[in-house]
Amino acid sequence: MKKIVVDCGTSYTKIHYLESAARRIVPSHKIIKTGSKYDIAAATGHNAFPNAKKVVNELVALAEGALRLITEPDFTILDCGARDVKFVKVKNRKVAAMDWNTECGAFTGQVIDLLQRYFNLDSAKLPTPSQKIPVVCGVLGMTTMFDRISRGTPYPFAFAEFLRGIAHNCEALAGRPDRLYISGGLCLNKAFLNSFSCEVIPLGRFVLTEGLLGIIKT
Amino acid sequence: MRKRRVAKTIGIVGVPPWETMHKCIARGDVLVDLDEPIPDMPVRNGYLPTNYCSILKRVVSNIFSLREAGRLDGVIACIGEDKCDGMRHIARWLTTTTDIPIVQVRNDNSKGYGTPISESQLPLGVKMELIVGSVFRTSEPPERPRKTKPVCGFWGVPPYDFDILKLFPDRTHIYGWTRCMENKTPGDFDLECYVPEGLPVVFFVQSFCQKSALAFNLAKKHNGLFVEVDRHLSRSARAKIEAFIRFNVKC
Repeated sequence: MKKIVVDCGTSYTKIHYLESAARRIVPSHKIIKTGSKYDIAAATGHNAFPNAKKVVNELVALAEGALRLITEPDFTILDCGARDVKFVKVKNRKVAAMDWNTECGAFTGQVIDLLQRYFNLDSAKLPTPSQKIPVVCGVLGMTTMFDRISRGTPYPFAFAEFLRGIAHNCEALAGRPDRLYISGGLCLNKAFLNSFSCEVIPLGRFVLTEGLLGIIKT
Repeated sequence: MRKRRVAKTIGIVGVPPWETMHKCIARGDVLVDLDEPIPDMPVRNGYLPTNYCSILKRVVSNIFSLREAGRLDGVIACIGEDKCDGMRHIARWLTTTTDIPIVQVRNDNSKGYGTPISESQLPLGVKMELIVGSVFRTSEPPERPRKTKPVCGFWGVPPYDFDILKLFPDRTHIYGWTRCMENKTPGDFDLECYVPEGLPVVFFVQSFCQKSALAFNLAKKHNGLFVEVDRHLSRSARAKIEAFIRFNVKC
């Protein structure tokens, strides 16, 4: 039985194998039923396995992971997941503030993923718009975006404005830092990263599993 | 021959003046705390807007359910600074549109009875039960409250769902309006705003409560955690509290 730590999010599950240090990402709906095949040392995420030896909430995993990966004394990290957005602010290597937005950030990551596939767009080739769509949540933002398209805005442009709206909300949630570390699946989306007005440093999708590794060591 | 008075069942909302409640008790009336859940009477919606304080929704539901069951003869409702604007509006509505006798009161008592339960070693849930249970009677603690040094604070009103209190460590002291309740000074705004400097405090409010403006800014001032919960604890609110305690509280 393979020993793992796992971040089981809404859309994707991030697995870190303890023996080999190999990593794998699989759609969550495929792995949820096979959780009993693994020896799970620690789990986090919306679909965290009940058979895990330790279940850690996402904010704790994010904070612990960021503290392992980032060496600066002061920083802010934002995790953009499929269905919510959360941030942790660290000051003097101590967690100073945090929030987890499940309402206004609802399904932003999921909506971006679905829309990009629907429009068949390459995130690296999207235009850079000067304005943003006010995004209250993923669903309401999408409504406004389609209104824009029906009024004649080219869809790659409307989608890029939608991304800027989401990035604007994320920055507001995180307290508008000058530099923002990003975690989660949207780290791979260049258009999203370019939509921020501050400096962004993507850390990839394994920040929370890194936090789990730290937690099981202590 | 003098007619014998039939004992009445009186619902109370908030913390009415002690003398008012004890006049009722002295004449044999039964008091029911309408802020609290009543067995076999689930909260019914439709009396108030959907997006509204869940405590006041429960109060109003309890009033109508008890009245329909013939188990409520009147209500003593706090409507002043000791309770909230919401109850003042509701009391006015009930007075003018129903046959339920509503006595509107304000509790401006300033004589503090002390806060030994809030500052004691008892688990947070037990403290809350004792304070809520002592609105019109004295509750006997399971063990004698001993004053402790706090490691954490819970600020706010008694929550709709007490499950939130299980997240807190021992030696969590109570602040905010619940502390005012224990002190029998529910309108004492200075006491409501008091939290010790440097103590990690979770500032809790029910969603749609006007106290959220106070909680939000007190949390900012004291580097605490502002948490808003509607009815039951959400995953994100639970995670925030767990993380705040993990990274700030030294037990």
